[in-house]
Amino acid sequence: MSSKLDSRKLRLGAFLAVMGPGIIAGLSDDDPAGITTYSQLGAQFGYQLLWTLGIATLALILFQDLGSRIGVVTRQGLIGLIRQKYGARSGMLSACALVLANIGTMTAEFAGIAAAGSLFGVSKYITVPLAAFVVSFLVLRGSFARVEKVFFLLASVFIAYVIAGFMAKPDWSAAAEGLFIPSMPLTRDALFIATATLGTTLAPWGLAFIQSYAVDKRLTKEDLKLLRVDVWTGSLLTGIIGFFVVITCAATLHVNGQTSITDASQAAAALKPLAGTLAKELFAVGLIGAALLAASILPLSTAYAVTDLTGRPAALDDKAHEAPLFYVTFGVITILAATMVLIPGAPLIRILVLTQILNAILLLPLLVYMFGIAKDSRLMGEYRASKLMLTVYAVIISIVFTCVAALIWFTVSG
Amino acid sequence: MKKTANRAQSAVLTRKGIQSTLVSVAGIIGRPVKDQDGRDLGKLVDFVVRHGGETYPPVSGLIVKVAGRRAYIDGARIAKLTKDEITLSSAKVNLSDYQRRSGEQLLDGDVLDHQIVDVNGLRVVRTSDLYLAPLDKEIRLVGVDVSFRSFVRRIFPGTFGRKPGVDQVIDWASVASLADDGGVVRTTATREALSKLRPADIADIIEDLEGREQSALIELLDPDLAADALEEMEDDELQGLLRGISDERAAELLSHMEPDESAEVLRDLDEEHSESILAQMSPAMAKQLRRLVEFDETHAGGIMTTHLLIVKESDLVSDALKLLVEHRERDISDGVTVVDSKGKLLDHIQIIELIAAKSSEKLETLVKAPFPTAVSIDTPLEEVIEEFSNNRGSSVIVVDEKGKPVGRILADDIIDAMVPAESSGLAQGTGALS
Repeated sequence: MSSKLDSRKLRLGAFLAVMGPGIIAGLSDDDPAGITTYSQLGAQFGYQLLWTLGIATLALILFQDLGSRIGVVTRQGLIGLIRQKYGARSGMLSACALVLANIGTMTAEFAGIAAAGSLFGVSKYITVPLAAFVVSFLVLRGSFARVEKVFFLLASVFIAYVIAGFMAKPDWSAAAEGLFIPSMPLTRDALFIATATLGTTLAPWGLAFIQSYAVDKRLTKEDLKLLRVDVWTGSLLTGIIGFFVVITCAATLHVNGQTSITDASQAAAALKPLAGTLAKELFAVGLIGAALLAASILPLSTAYAVTDLTGRPAALDDKAHEAPLFYVTFGVITILAATMVLIPGAPLIRILVLTQILNAILLLPLLVYMFGIAKDSRLMGEYRASKLMLTVYAVIISIVFTCVAALIWFTVSG
Repeated sequence: MKKTANRAQSAVLTRKGIQSTLVSVAGIIGRPVKDQDGRDLGKLVDFVVRHGGETYPPVSGLIVKVAGRRAYIDGARIAKLTKDEITLSSAKVNLSDYQRRSGEQLLDGDVLDHQIVDVNGLRVVRTSDLYLAPLDKEIRLVGVDVSFRSFVRRIFPGTFGRKPGVDQVIDWASVASLADDGGVVRTTATREALSKLRPADIADIIEDLEGREQSALIELLDPDLAADALEEMEDDELQGLLRGISDERAAELLSHMEPDESAEVLRDLDEEHSESILAQMSPAMAKQLRRLVEFDETHAGGIMTTHLLIVKESDLVSDALKLLVEHRERDISDGVTVVDSKGKLLDHIQIIELIAAKSSEKLETLVKAPFPTAVSIDTPLEEVIEEFSNNRGSSVIVVDEKGKPVGRILADDIIDAMVPAESSGLAQGTGALS
């Protein structure tokens, strides 16, 4: 009797222990850049393009799942594996692109915090340095367990989006139609926003993070089932939150002809006359939580990648003198990004646009490398992906390819 | 004789002239392979080296891409190796596919950019480059480069990418390359170097390695040393490791560990796995461990160590000291447990008392207060902790229902028992103690 109870308790404990990386990685994709993109999707096209979010969520589930599995089975981060399997140049290029893209994305997170802070009337010269300090302190000084709990606390703020969604009284049947019946206006704007949705949901740093985190946490094959639950939950939640942001904007901004927004705080401000002050504030709080969560993971993901490339695996539990490269990378990313937001007259918009493009371009080779690793039986052993799964991965990669090619073409042709 | 030869070889990188003959493996991969008349045959894909007992493994063959096909060329055909190209001694190319044989390793496929253990630097690193040199009439793998500079150099095209960064080279003898496909790909020198490391260092190295290479390292170590290293590892890490090695090897390692530690490991494995490991042990060891495994971790029987030095009250002081000397490598042998003629617990006598006593005296003369705290096997953990704090002793003795001593609980066993209970939730993998 008592042993049965014990084993159940143990199982719950194990579940809680594994619960985390998938949800953290998933939810931090709903960062300010993500929320802005989803807001634009809803404001510009109403419910029509909801299905692109559906596809993005599916892709997120499958590749986060694959990434975590690769991490557990090979016990190596993505960048290290790329170096090992595809050679020095591929490894170096992926790492450099990831570092650049992550600095840009980190800048976007701080910009998001600055914007959300200004909604409450707090200057960015207070909010951004404070955020940089809080994030570094939590991740570097707190114990692993505590950091995780704080991450969860931050993530719970995302409920705000769901509440805002209901308060906006959306047209549910139109939303269902947009989600399940794909239709696509073949315009530049529509293609652009579809690609951006895919790129912001399935972010390269998220893929690199989930794998490194599984390695750092020393998750084993026994944990895979629970990890899968975690990854699926996290990815689905990401999609659900995105869904509510889109319908909120569709039901308020789009219906009232406000189709042009450039950042998430604009979306939030625009909500005020339509859905009341509370909706606006909820939106802003969600934005800060999301940005803090993503800002905690981005430098971490980058530091993992850099140490992985050099072959000196580092972990959060290592002391600074044991893993100098890890901590230097972490610090440089955080400081650089915060500085860029604070320098008056820095070309912020250009940095953010370039980052989005770089992320989209980087996503493609990373997915292809992951595909190659998934079918490598020497690396994956019995966990090698089945023919069916490889086909599914290939279909997703070709969708991403089409979108990225379209995005690049439209960007170049202006 | 052979030993001297080996030592001379170990210093091969310091030999005059050898540095100028080094060829960068990363640099020459993808370069032309030519026949004796200088005609291009194809491009070099990989080197195959054969690991025997030698410190520096010889190149046993080449994998060359000829007209879109991968062909294997025997190493004996190599006439000349420079940093830019390979010239063969004949034009005949055997277009057979390469079949990996036991004891062989592909330098680009298995070693370059893979993790290796730098035995002197006590760390896990990635190979940035490998260096070949002619030695004892064969082309051999002599050095490995783990510097970041050499890694960056490889990114550049042209001759710069092929220039060996010789100042950063580590002797091949001082690393352990663990990437292989089941064959024995290690040198005696590596094994010796590894055996000099501290268990805690080895545990760190094991934790830094990826799964397959982790089990390779374990297979390589002396069982006693490996068992010591395993005891230093995190529980969940250890679980993962045991899943990666054969039941036979797992049984061997667990037999070398302290019985209570082994039991704890077995308790956490699923039953099928732990049974198949126990089946590979000696019946006596398996029986002892099975009994320990059955005890719940929350009771005295589950946290005790069964390693006791039991002596009779009629034995002499000198007998007890002799027994202690015999078991000196066990860190818990700080004294002996004295029993009466029926095997019942009388006293625990510290080593210092034994030394102070006359060696010809009988142990019964030393049996006196303070007597050790004794608890029964099914005493709950909380009560054991209470006993500890009440008595301020360094250990308590565990006795069975007949009063016979069956184990001891030391302060560190208590810590072990308390830590997972407190942190089994979110704190898994904190490694706070490492």
